[in-house]
Parts: sequence; C-alpha cells; structure tokens
Amino acid sequence: MDAVLTGLATGFSVALDPFNLFLVLAGCFAGTLIGALPGLGPINGVAILLPIAYGLGFGPESALILLAGIYYGAEYGGRISSILLNVPGDASAVMTTLDGNPMARNGEAGRALSLSAIASFVGGTFAVVLLSLFAPTLATFAVTFSPADYVALMVFAFASLASLVGKNVVKTLLGATIGLMLATIGIDANTGVPRYTFGIPDILAGIDFLIVVVGLFGMAELLTLVEQQVSGKLKSLPLDNSFVRMADLAKCKWTIVRSSIIGFFIGVLPGTGASVASAVAYGTEKRIADDGSTFGTGNPRGLAAPESANNAAAGGAMVPMLTLGIPGSGTTAILLGALLMFNIQPGPMLFSQNPEVAWGLIASMYIGNVALLIINLPLVGIFARMLTIPQHYLTPLIAILAFIGIYTIVGNPFDLLLITLLGIFGWFLRKMDFSLAPVILGFVLGSLFENNLRRALSISGGDWTILVADYKSIVLYALSVLVVLAPIWLARRARRMAAGPVSSSKGI
Amino acid sequence: MVDRIFAGVLLIVTLAYTVIAFTAIRAPFQYDPLGPESWPQILSVVAILCLLFILWKPDASELGVSKQTWFRLAATVILLGAYAELYEPLGFILSTLLFGTALCAMLGGSILKSLIFGFATSVAGFLLCVTLLGLNLPEGELVEYLHKQASGLEEGVS
Amino acid sequence: MSFARLGAAMCLAASLAAPAFAQSQIDDPECVAPANPGGGFDLTCRVAQTGLDPHVDAPIQVNFMPGGIGAVAYNLFNTTRTDDGSAIVAFSTGSLLNIVTGKYGAFTEKDVRWVATAGADFGAVVVRADSEYQTLAELMTDFSADPASVVVGAGGSVGSQDWMKGALLLREAGASPMDMRYVAFDGGGDAIAALLGGSIEVYTGDVGEMVPHMESGQMRLLAVMSPERLEAPFADIPTAIEEGFDVEWTIMRGFYMGGDVSDADYQKWVDAFEAAYATEAFAQVQKERGLLPLNMAGEELQTSVEQRVQTLREIATEAGLIQ
Repeated sequence: MDAVLTGLATGFSVALDPFNLFLVLAGCFAGTLIGALPGLGPINGVAILLPIAYGLGFGPESALILLAGIYYGAEYGGRISSILLNVPGDASAVMTTLDGNPMARNGEAGRALSLSAIASFVGGTFAVVLLSLFAPTLATFAVTFSPADYVALMVFAFASLASLVGKNVVKTLLGATIGLMLATIGIDANTGVPRYTFGIPDILAGIDFLIVVVGLFGMAELLTLVEQQVSGKLKSLPLDNSFVRMADLAKCKWTIVRSSIIGFFIGVLPGTGASVASAVAYGTEKRIADDGSTFGTGNPRGLAAPESANNAAAGGAMVPMLTLGIPGSGTTAILLGALLMFNIQPGPMLFSQNPEVAWGLIASMYIGNVALLIINLPLVGIFARMLTIPQHYLTPLIAILAFIGIYTIVGNPFDLLLITLLGIFGWFLRKMDFSLAPVILGFVLGSLFENNLRRALSISGGDWTILVADYKSIVLYALSVLVVLAPIWLARRARRMAAGPVSSSKGI
Repeated sequence: MVDRIFAGVLLIVTLAYTVIAFTAIRAPFQYDPLGPESWPQILSVVAILCLLFILWKPDASELGVSKQTWFRLAATVILLGAYAELYEPLGFILSTLLFGTALCAMLGGSILKSLIFGFATSVAGFLLCVTLLGLNLPEGELVEYLHKQASGLEEGVS
Repeated sequence: MSFARLGAAMCLAASLAAPAFAQSQIDDPECVAPANPGGGFDLTCRVAQTGLDPHVDAPIQVNFMPGGIGAVAYNLFNTTRTDDGSAIVAFSTGSLLNIVTGKYGAFTEKDVRWVATAGADFGAVVVRADSEYQTLAELMTDFSADPASVVVGAGGSVGSQDWMKGALLLREAGASPMDMRYVAFDGGGDAIAALLGGSIEVYTGDVGEMVPHMESGQMRLLAVMSPERLEAPFADIPTAIEEGFDVEWTIMRGFYMGGDVSDADYQKWVDAFEAAYATEAFAQVQKERGLLPLNMAGEELQTSVEQRVQTLREIATEAGLIQ
C-alpha cells in the first residue's frame, strides 16, 4: 500500500507540472476531434499522432502524458458520432449506438452526450484505481486464462447477447452467422491457409473491423437518411439543451458499477478488448434490468452500460502491458511501441527501473479522465447543435467524414469501395428488419471463438474434454446458463406473483 | 415477397460459400482436429437452415420504397462509387468538392449553397485534417505532377 | 501516387541537422512499411529514416501500406511502381517465407531488387522459469522420444517464421514437424501470456522481444538460434549450434525496390546504406530499435536473399507446405 502511495505521489508530481497539464488538455482536445471521425478511434489516433509527439522532442513522461490525453479524448470522441449520427467511431462504440442514438432522436442528444461522458469517467477512473492497487496480482491471474477458458468466455458472451434477439429469432441468428462468415475471410490464423480471398491481396489478412463497422453502420445509415429524406419522412431536429439529470445518475449508478467491473476484468485478459467488454456489459444489463425491454429505444441504462464498460476495459488492458510487457489490446500495443521509442523497456521491471514513467502514466490516466470531463461537458451543447444542421448538408458530411476516417487509417482506396458495398448490404439488411448489432458482434467474436477452440484442441491433441477441464471454464459455463435462464425464471416468478398462487410446478 | 428474393440471393452466395468450404479449403497438414474447413462448414449449414426457414415463412412483404426513392438511392450509390474511385486521382479537395456539391444539390440544397458547402467542406476538411491533425489525405495526381514539375525546374536551375 | 505522409513531421525535425559529407541525391525519398503503424516493418523503416538521414539529401518519409501481410505492397511494386527509384519497401525473413509459400501470388524473389538490410534478430527457445527443461539437450531428447509430449506455441500460423523455428528443432531431433504439438497464437504477446500461464511449455520467439523479460526471471532462454553468441544481456545464453544442434534462424530485416528501377537509382540507395554502415551512429540506431547488426547491401544482399529463399524453399518442401 505504501509503495502504491509513494508511487502515486511520484506520478502526480510529474503529471501536475503545468506544461504536462497543458499537454493532457491539448491531447484530449485533439483526440476528441480525431475520435469523432468515424473509423478513427483511439488506436489510430494514438498511432497517427505518435510520430508527431516523438518529433516534438519532449521527454518520455511528457510524450506519454500527451498520448494518454489523446487516448482518452479519442475514446470519448468515438461516442459523439455514435450518439448523434448512429455511426460508431470505433469498435467499442457499436453498443453505444443502440440506446445513444434513439436518445438523440428523441431530442435528448445533450443528455445522452453528458451521461456517456460521466459513465466513461466513472468506468475509466474505476479501472485506474484497480490498476494502481492490484495490477501485479491481476496480471498473474489473467495469464492463467487458457485457450479453453477463452472458449468458455466466448460462450458466455454469446449467451449474454441472446438478449439482443429482436422480434425474429431466425433473422438474429442469421445476422450473427453472416458476421461469423465475414470473419472467416482472410488467412487462417492456425494453418496459414487463405480462405475466401480469391487472390485479392487487399483482403488476404481479413477485412478490418473498422471497415465492417463504418460500412454496415455508417454507410447504411447514410443510405437510410437519403431514403427517408427523399420520401419526406425526415425532419431536422430542433435544438435541444437537455443535460444529464441527477435522476439519471441515480438510476444508472448500479449499472455503471456493474459494467465497470465486467469491463475491467474482460479488459485485463490479453486478447479480448473493449468491444467484447461493452457487448457483454450491455447484454448482461439488458438481461437483469427490470426495464430491459425498453433497451434499444433510448434507455439511459443501455447507454451507460457499454460506455462505462469500454472505458474500464481500456484501463484494464494496461494491466498486462505495464506489469508483464504483454499488450492486451491494439492501443496498448501502440503505447508499448511508444515506450520503446523512448528507449524504455516495458515489462516486469518497469516499475522499479522507471518509476517516474510508470507512475507518471498512471497519474496521467487519472488526470486524463478528469480532463475529458472538463473539456467535453461544455462542448456537449456545441456537438448537440450538429443535429440542427439541415439534412442536405448533414448527409454528405457523414460520407465525407467516413471517407476521411477510413482512408487515413491505411491509405487504401480499395477500402472506400468496400465500405460502400457493405453499406448497400447493411441497408438491405435493415430494410429486411435485421438488427445490425448481431452481425457486428458475430464478426468480432467469430475469430476469437474459432481460433481459441482450435488452439485448445491443438494443446490437448484433439481431446475435447480440455474444454471443461478447468474451474474457470466451468464457472463461465455455469454463468452462461444462468444468464440465459435468469430472465425466464424472473418473468415466471413475476407472472406467478401477479396471477396469484396458480398451481404451476413446471418452473425450475 | 422481397424477403424471399433477398433470402434467395443470399442463399446463392451462401451455397457458393458452402461449396468452397467443403471442397477448396484444405491445409497441407494441421495440428487441431477441426482444421481451417470445419468452422466455415458449420457456419454454412446454419446459414442455409436459417435462409430456408425465411424462404418458407417470410415476414416482410414489401420494402415500401417508391420508384423515385430507388432512383435517388441508386444515384447516391453511384456518387459514392465515383467518389471512392476519384479519391486518389483527383485528390481530396477536388473529389470532395464535386461529391459534396452533387449530393447536397441532389438532396435539395440550392446550386449556389451546394457549391459553397462543397467548397467549404473540402478546403476546411483538408486544412483541419492535414495541417492541424497531421492526417494523410490524397493531394491528387494533378497536384503531385505540378510538384514534380516545380522541383524538376528547380533542379534544372541549380 | 499518394500514400501516408505521417512521417513528415518527424522528418522535418530531423532534417534541420546540417550534414557535412557526401549524400545521395534522391527525390522525395520514401520508405514504405507494408503494415499498420507500430509493428516490425514500421521499426525497419524508422531505422532507414534515422540511420540514413545524414547520407541522403532529403528527409525520408515513412509511409504505411498495410494489407495482406505485405502482399499488397509486394503486388504494387511488381505491377505499377516497378520503376519507382525513390521508394524502398521494408521486408523481413517472414516476407521471404511468404514468397516461398505463394502468399504473395505469382511474383518471386527474382522480380524485385533487394537493396540493403536494416539489421537482424534471431530465434530463441524460451521456457518458463520453473520449467523442467534446463538445457536445450533435455528438450531435444523429449522431442526425439515423443514429439507430441511437448506443447510448443508461438505467435504465428503453420508455415510462419515462428512455426519454422519449431519445425527445424524437430527435424534436428529426428522427428517430423507434422508430429509437433504446435499452437498458433495471435502475435508474440499472446504466446508469452500462454507460456507464463502454463498453456504451452515451449515458446519459439525472438531474441529482441525477450530483452524486457531478461531481468525479471520469469522465463528462461534455453538457446538462441544465432550463428554466434550474442552480446549482453544474452552473453550467457548458448547458441543451439554450440549445444550440438545445427539449427539457426536469422530474422533479416531490410528493404527492396521495384524490379525495373534503373541501376543509377538503385546504386544511390546502396551507396547511402554503405556509407551509413561505416558509422557508429548507425550501429546506435540499430541498437535503439532492438536490432542486432547484420549489414549487407547491393549485390551481396541479392545473393544472400536468393540463397535464403532457396533454403526456405527446401525446408518448406520437406515440411510438406509446398509441393
């Protein structure tokens, strides 16, 4: 405990230097702008600005603090386009659209933006606190997660997502299968055999997640806007000055706490990140909330859950990076690279060899979270104003922003055609009453599921019992059964209570 | 009806996917019993079952899209395709100017306002992204050609 | 053509240093990293960017061209940019392996011009600190007796460099690589996590990535797969050859250009690299980027690459990866 306090003291003395404080604020601002572009999330924001930070010639602490600011800014910026335009800025913001955008459509854009900022803040801060207290213990536990345990985790993720089933079960299942099928494109990670690439080099390594998100969501949304506008169903919304209320926070407080815990622990595991965390948190929350049926129509809890989870996961991913030198997510891989650029070896020795860097980074994460609130809450009104832009300007603007976002990631014009094609496909799916979230989640979870299953079977030499050989797997399978059955049981009990003592012995 | 057409088209694609999964995907050797082909095979069976169910019991009867809307949607798609194709050859500024103006005008902006919008987004977007944020956007082959000419001249002088 | 101009800001800072000696004159020199920022190819290009800076008259820009594990770039420089004299593209031994196994399409190692190397890294055989294996010989005995008794894992698929290292060890132990119990992870980080967590027993990784783990004592290097002993912190680790096993794995990192580049343009780059190799500053740049010295340019590299590809082709054929 003492070590933690002295460490934090060192860290804050670095991070509270006026110049470093200025860098955090500047980073948050630039990050918010970058994050607001669909496609450009924290990973690319940090990657793109890293050479610039390096070129400016700051010391390692200052540069890392700047990057942490950009990271938090971009994390939050991604929500802006999710909520306002129904176009997720990055992978982890997909679940945010489900309730965030309906809130904005109901004239509560400001409320949604400010609530998501607070949920992000709590999730992020929660993660940093746990990180500073228990990082080494957690990291040791996280690496004991074997491929077989990841299979169980994926089963749990799919089980909690069963709550996403819309009115047509078959269509939801088909949507998830389409996502899983899209994920099989590219070189097979186990045997190195190309699948469904047809000799096109651009898709040899698979379709980038961001392209699927921006295509299926963003471009499909654009076509929907055009359609609604042409048929006269669309009006610009009046300016709303709504803001998060105390009642919202009171209602969401347990949602935020639960989702932060789920998000943090999924984030700590190397190999799963914020997108899995936000999906599981949303699914679980929808399952256990008493008003779960209104999720998807603008329920504040449906917005708070993924928002706190993905920020907590982002913090959790720092645990294996700082303590073991293992990057747990794309962004931490880049931060790892940043440390290397400054000749600092991340890993088990970081805390003893470069305490000012390790604790400076942790302290800047505390400050980054606060800076995010300070910068973004006043901007809520300005961003909410975006919705008052007439549609004939807003629609082309979405396309232009999406093109900038996708092109600047890798500079490949092929990707622009790909998002357009996926957009057309997504529009048709929407017209056919398919929900797009299962498609995306199938895509995210698909390769994790397949690869870990095959890894587990490689380890056991083909023996399937490895899947239930560990207590962690069994606990996760038990939780999966629970999360599927609990709502059924709860509903029955509620019905029985309402109907009085009817002699029904068919319950569990 | 549309449900059936859509499911039918998807079924054809899925069948192609299935044929590839069962015939073409092979590893020279593998360490896990599933190999690269089993997972796609399972997925294709699930997808075919779902599609057959939709063909048997469709629920959406029509799209509710008028002829005029179809026309506009097709035009939007063509504009997007052209924008993607011209992004690098014309460069960000010129292609965005054309695309922004065209789509804005099509959606009901007046010609003058559309032009102003196209001009503003292309120039402001370029300045904001390239100059301020340091992102990379294409300058266009024309600009690069001029650059080359200019630097070629310089070299000739020195 | 227009690709990423991300390195511009960096170059600007670097170009302010006024150079005092002969420089190669290259118009808009650029280094293409055929991957996303942050990976090994990025690192390779950064070596050229900083290391060559005093020897080229204009700053080198680093541009990214991800897609298909480098196949997108390899195709582009074999179809449209074949005579681009101002661009070099980063490659590694992994790219050569992809050429051999046909992942880069019909183009072979003879279709591009190999310019120079940035440095090297070497394979390493790693176990957990509390592993029963104390020496490589003990591990090799188990491989000979029953290859399936040891779970080997690494960050690449079958046919990747990481897998090759394992396959070579098994071949040397007199077993077939197909009998290995191999687990492919998504990158070295996940594989190290699996090793620490006990899912796998042996990790066939790289020397460079082990640097931060050397002092912590969580893992033990049984052997390095370099031709000779390495410097500290690896000075105490024996090579596999020393231990009596003829297994070597060098990860070469370097650059190629399109096949139709003029001799004059090609020579400008070769000269710049050779000038850089002679300086202490370049060695420092290599060290900072975690690379070990392996300096070859021009004809020497061309021959070396052809030899390597030949060896890789033999191994891949033997392992049943290609016919």
